[in-house]
Amino acid sequence: MLEAINLSKRYGNQDALTALHLKVAPGEVFCLLGANGAGKTTTINLFMNFIEATSGQALVNGLNVASQAQETKKHLAYIPENLNLYSNLSGLENLQFFAGLSGEKPDAARAEELLRAAGLQPNATTKRVSQYSKGMRQKVGIAIAKAKQADNLLLDEPTSGLDPQASNDFAQLLHTLREQNVAILMATHDLFRAKETGTHIGIMKAGKLMHTMKSDEITLIELEQLYLETMKTESHAEASY
Amino acid sequence: MLKLVIKKEFKTALRDVRLQISGSILMVLMLTAVLVGRQGQQQIAHQRAAAQEAMYDKWVNQGNKHPHSAAHYGQFAFKPKPVLSFLDVGLDNYTGISVFLEAHKQNEVLFSAAQDSNGMSRFGELTAALILQVLLPLLIIFLTFNIFSKEREEGTLKLLHAQGLSMRQLFMGKVWGTYIMVLLFFLPVIMLAYFLLDDQSAALDAAVTTKFIGLATGYAVYFLVFVLLCTLISAFAKNSGFSLLSLLGLWTLSCIILPKATANLADKVYPTPSEFEFRKTIQALVKNGIDGHNPSDVRLASLKQEVLEEYNVEKIEELPVNWGGIAMQAGEEYTDQVYDQEFSRVESIFKDQNRLSEWVGFINPYLAVRHLSMALAGTDFHHHIAFARAAEDYRRSFVKRMNKDMETNHKPGVAYADYKVGEEMWSSIEPFSYELPSFTTILSTQWRSVGALAFWLIGLLGISMIYAPKISRL
Repeated sequence: MLEAINLSKRYGNQDALTALHLKVAPGEVFCLLGANGAGKTTTINLFMNFIEATSGQALVNGLNVASQAQETKKHLAYIPENLNLYSNLSGLENLQFFAGLSGEKPDAARAEELLRAAGLQPNATTKRVSQYSKGMRQKVGIAIAKAKQADNLLLDEPTSGLDPQASNDFAQLLHTLREQNVAILMATHDLFRAKETGTHIGIMKAGKLMHTMKSDEITLIELEQLYLETMKTESHAEASY
Repeated sequence: MLKLVIKKEFKTALRDVRLQISGSILMVLMLTAVLVGRQGQQQIAHQRAAAQEAMYDKWVNQGNKHPHSAAHYGQFAFKPKPVLSFLDVGLDNYTGISVFLEAHKQNEVLFSAAQDSNGMSRFGELTAALILQVLLPLLIIFLTFNIFSKEREEGTLKLLHAQGLSMRQLFMGKVWGTYIMVLLFFLPVIMLAYFLLDDQSAALDAAVTTKFIGLATGYAVYFLVFVLLCTLISAFAKNSGFSLLSLLGLWTLSCIILPKATANLADKVYPTPSEFEFRKTIQALVKNGIDGHNPSDVRLASLKQEVLEEYNVEKIEELPVNWGGIAMQAGEEYTDQVYDQEFSRVESIFKDQNRLSEWVGFINPYLAVRHLSMALAGTDFHHHIAFARAAEDYRRSFVKRMNKDMETNHKPGVAYADYKVGEEMWSSIEPFSYELPSFTTILSTQWRSVGALAFWLIGLLGISMIYAPKISRL
């Protein structure tokens, strides 16, 4: 369970996130949509405790990420937008290393299984990551997240730059995780994926969560219209300001 | 967790092609320096031992002559080449290798290797010490300059943090991983050096193994200090470029600029007299007396009066002993006092200069390890002084024997040319031998350097523990 209570982040006199209230229950996929600078990554960073909140709380399974930082990490898995990993280690070695840090120690066979389940070709697992495409690296990231067996997953634009096949594979994986009762918060620009994989959708603008809805209550066309209108309002507001 | 990070750091560094190339070059350089250094040291040690033996043979076989002529004929003392000097030549090339021992005069140790070298020697000899003190830190810089910034730039730092790894654990993992990598270069070199020590080494210096262990430990601490320092700077640098620039600046400052500046400062604060000035002062003191009011002729007259009174005679010719021998020894002892006073004065200036440089070790760890390394290798200033003192003690002892023989056996009335002694007398003088200072003696002179290294290590570990959690994750 992920929960943001009145969560805000301010850089100088610039509001990056304003009074965010949000809840992602187990088995839910909450997709945050918005333009660059809308506050999506800031929200993820606050949940990961990469940055400190100016006010409010980010809770993971009821634990405050700021005051119980190490404890909350046990319940969180994270996949960033650009997952580079260690280029002179293989995918298998990267997985074993990162999984080892979280207390899981998959042996080579289990690690291979996780990588294959994430969609990585069997002959690629022992190759150095320097030879991987972005999609392949992202699959290793998924395997790392899965190996951790965390009940909450934070994804920061995970499908950006992936080809349609890889993006589709990724959506399938999210579906599997959702069925395993994992709470997923995903920042994305991809309206189609948000509608397809998300159980809930939020549209952010200038650090504020403008709209939230269940994905089955809205069609893709309606979502697109709402998104564009929200962005347009923003542009008008900015212009009139 | 720490073990995992160490293992990963070690593995990724080992697979870095740039490191493989630069490390291999460094390794070849170090092994060559040790092998060539040891061969050179053995050759020089053999040459000096042979020269010492030849000179003693010459002394023993100088033929029959008056003992005072023999005291002027003199002997040579050759500075033994310390076993561990193959690792660090220190000041050995500049301090001279032999001293002529003769009556009335305390000569300086002359014929330094630098005198026979060309201009290139100004750049320093390629020794294990030079590589360990100056070049290996460059490898550490290469290993650490982007150790954090690269993770930050590539986003892996976030992923590490997400896995529950604390910054302190990550920092220490990186430090130990890099340090093990450095030891991978250092240990083969130090092991090779150890295997090159033979039974003869122990015969030349009983404490050679202890000194060797001390030397290896000193370097191991120095590397850890450098790894900690570089990792700390890298962790707080904004990016890899800034980190590399800062670390190279630090290296230039600590290994090149500060040592030169310290030497210049020491010379300014504690200026040394010129050779000419020094000799002139000694001549004046011998002639006019140490207090300036006791000229040599007055001293001689006073001694004569004392001796006549002691033997209750009125004229020198009536003395039962040789007045010349007594006068020579008294003159010798007075000159010794002058030399002791003046040499102590100059020694004290050099000691002050060294002390200042050793204190700077608390600002610059390079200077601390340099002083410690030279001391344990037996090539520092203290070793030079110890040799010069041993040679001087030997000179005084054999000149005294000559004077005593003259005083006792050269009967009054017998012409100088008619009193002669021979081989039996010369061989009764033991050949010059010199024992290198013990390990504890060296430590007693190097407490500042040892303290400076400990200060750096403890200080940096403390700073790391406090500031590592504050390293930015973004």
